Amino acid sequence: MEKEFLTKTSRSVTLNVTGGKIDSFREQEETIATVRVYENNCIGVAGCLGTPDEKALTDKATEALELKIPYPCNLDGALEKEDLHEEEIIPVPELIPTMQAFLDRLGEACPRFAFSNKISLSYNKTEYRNSLGRHLTSSGRNLSIQLIAQNRGSGNLFDTAFMYDGNHFDADALLAQFKRDYDAYYVPADIEPGRYPVLLETSDLFGTFLRHFVAEMYVSGASLVSGKLGQKVFSEKLSFRNDMNPATNPGVCFFDDEGCVAPDLRPTLIDKGTLTCLLTSKKSSSKFGLPNLGTANAAYDGVPGLGFNRFYVDPTAKSLKELVPGKAVYVVMASGGDTTPGGHFATPVQMAYLVEDGKLVGRLPELNIGGNFFDMLGNDYIGAVSGDLHPDRILCAVNMDVNK
Amino acid sequence: MIQFRDGFYADVRTEDRSRTFISYQAGMLEEMKTRVERRAFIRVYDGKMWYYASVTDLDNLQKTLDGLYDAATPNDKIAEDPIVRRFECNRDTVMCFKDCSVRDIPTKDKQALLLSYLPLLSEDACITMPQGAYIDRNSLFHFQSSLGADISFDYQTCGITFSCSMAEGEKKFMGHWQKGATRFDELKGLEDIIRAAVVEQTSFMRNSVPVVPGKYPVVLAPEAAGVFAHESFGHKSESDFMLSDESMRNEWQLGKTVGSPILSIAECGSVPGCGYVPYDDEGTRARKNYLIKNGVLAGRLHNAQTAAALNEDLTGNARAIDCTFEPIVRMTNTYIEGGDLDFDELVAPIKKGYFIKTIKHGSGMSTFTIAPSLAYEIIDGKLGNPVQISVLTGSVFETLGLIDGLTRDVHMLSFVTGGCGKLEQANLPVGFGGPYVRVSSMNVQ
Repeated sequence: MEKEFLTKTSRSVTLNVTGGKIDSFREQEETIATVRVYENNCIGVAGCLGTPDEKALTDKATEALELKIPYPCNLDGALEKEDLHEEEIIPVPELIPTMQAFLDRLGEACPRFAFSNKISLSYNKTEYRNSLGRHLTSSGRNLSIQLIAQNRGSGNLFDTAFMYDGNHFDADALLAQFKRDYDAYYVPADIEPGRYPVLLETSDLFGTFLRHFVAEMYVSGASLVSGKLGQKVFSEKLSFRNDMNPATNPGVCFFDDEGCVAPDLRPTLIDKGTLTCLLTSKKSSSKFGLPNLGTANAAYDGVPGLGFNRFYVDPTAKSLKELVPGKAVYVVMASGGDTTPGGHFATPVQMAYLVEDGKLVGRLPELNIGGNFFDMLGNDYIGAVSGDLHPDRILCAVNMDVNK
Repeated sequence: MIQFRDGFYADVRTEDRSRTFISYQAGMLEEMKTRVERRAFIRVYDGKMWYYASVTDLDNLQKTLDGLYDAATPNDKIAEDPIVRRFECNRDTVMCFKDCSVRDIPTKDKQALLLSYLPLLSEDACITMPQGAYIDRNSLFHFQSSLGADISFDYQTCGITFSCSMAEGEKKFMGHWQKGATRFDELKGLEDIIRAAVVEQTSFMRNSVPVVPGKYPVVLAPEAAGVFAHESFGHKSESDFMLSDESMRNEWQLGKTVGSPILSIAECGSVPGCGYVPYDDEGTRARKNYLIKNGVLAGRLHNAQTAAALNEDLTGNARAIDCTFEPIVRMTNTYIEGGDLDFDELVAPIKKGYFIKTIKHGSGMSTFTIAPSLAYEIIDGKLGNPVQISVLTGSVFETLGLIDGLTRDVHMLSFVTGGCGKLEQANLPVGFGGPYVRVSSMNVQ
């Protein structure tokens, strides 16, 4: 009987911001543990909250084998690897004064905005072991500043957002970035309906498409990419990966919940336009004879399923100006869109900037954008840039229909 | 026994949650588990800051509470604080599910019920990878505050959900069906309903055609109408968004006309179903609140902080998704009230328009969106062919003013998956519904 053990510890401190002032402080700490046992192509799982009693959990997992839940025993072999990022970003006792000082400066720089929502400092540590001698440990810290901004007097729930996710805090750099966005917000801009390069964050581009990459949907024939594994069906410029690399995704665990470690720590779905893999767990990989992507996610007491950490596409340009030299629409908020079964994508854009020669020009009115799945990731895909406009984000450029 | 200190407001909320999840895919068991968790969320308020802790060690609540007290600053006048003065001090026990708790039903019975329905998903050859799940939850809540509140109540949902891929040549569709209930027995005898849903969805996959984008009259079924009410206006009624910007109070003055005179939207936590919240997470008793009454802004949703800031009454809408988060202003059950038409009368005047029967999701800011799943054309006052629509959009206020017909009956919907998301707290169970609603013009894409 093979066994694997997974323990996750998380600690976070979260501040709530109302009207630019911190009004609450929340502490959360949690340890969860999982034991999985495999026998006769079945899995038994047991998990607990708090420090685990490994023997008791193993006994419970062994009992769960009686449920006869099919799952291949396909543990990865021996590997010792540790990647710890323990450096403190801001000491917890200094978090409130540091962040209130930052918010005060932000309020002075952006007086027409009212800021609210959360600032969070988190620490995560994950340890995986299995009976084949694999032992992986990962830890990381993350500072998340998620401020929503109301344009005073607009009557809206929120009008735009200022976000940062990373493992360091540079108040001056963030203030300069937020102030640049704020200034552009108050410059009215317009654009005639037509086809334009649209700059989308990776999550906006791939969010509604991701289900088409799920192995079960692929095999069923209902996916837009069904039957296309191994084929070059997208733009040569497009490489689409899951970012499990702490160098570009601070705080992320470098292995998945089944102990898989991908080359370059970025499991790849599309490589230079070729569909190379689908979203799989070890189970769906084995069941359908597909390669395993290595991005499984599991509840602490559950059978592994699918997971995804952060969308990553390979940058193709060094700067935004190089990527889209002329006019472009930079989408800041686009919620509520979807894709028809035939692959037509449409979404309203609640907040967008006009970009020209790589610089923010001004705020556009509400727009609608649309395109076809294969065109957007194929002939209409222009490329991507990392770190321009926002140091922690990748922007993809796609030619799309833009209407008011 | 929790010992509260003078000079602070504090409350302790605990939840004992049991959740069963059984799922099958293509006839194979995927998951079968019952998770029982006990968690607590503790709050201390000193008149300036809130201090929160989320814990799983319920044997040491006093120690955690004392740690929060030590971080806060004593305030002799805490009882006069406008937030503290708002808190209700209810002492009550409301147990609705003692005689029918899903905790008492053997897992094998739940599994057998699910298994009895699975063959219905394989009656049409176009269906592949059918998935079915049984999901239930039973929670026991206990709330205590330093003001003397002491409330216990239970909560229960259970349900069956199915999904499948449908494909025939180039035609594709993702089929879904769900039944949410509060008692296990309500999930029995659903064969005919499930079979009819499968037949309708396979027919939709085979016969639906892409819509020609444009502006059309639209009739929303209760599911779509409920999501529209929730997304387009419910979120705007959550008054925490008014705290940061004082000018919002002028923009959102009660008594302002915000919609058609036939439109009334209500909110109430005492409606049975997944949005049942007899007491909110600050111990406030549920009550019916009108958001819009006859087209006029009639009220908004509060926790104690927002009620104090806006000098309005509590509404029972302080909610957290679980004991890992603090309560914020959230909806419970949101619905449009009925009108005076029947369905045939509602669609009769429409020469060309669309009927939105079911939806995948919706969102709402100044512009709302609804992503339909099953939709049909309306031609000369009759339902016609199925159509594929990616999204309905429009200005919220313009659309609220364009509602020109409502059927009499109101249907409330209850779910066991999904839920409402707001900032960091996702998948809060909420109920919604309404009558069939006619809108004279919507942007259809």
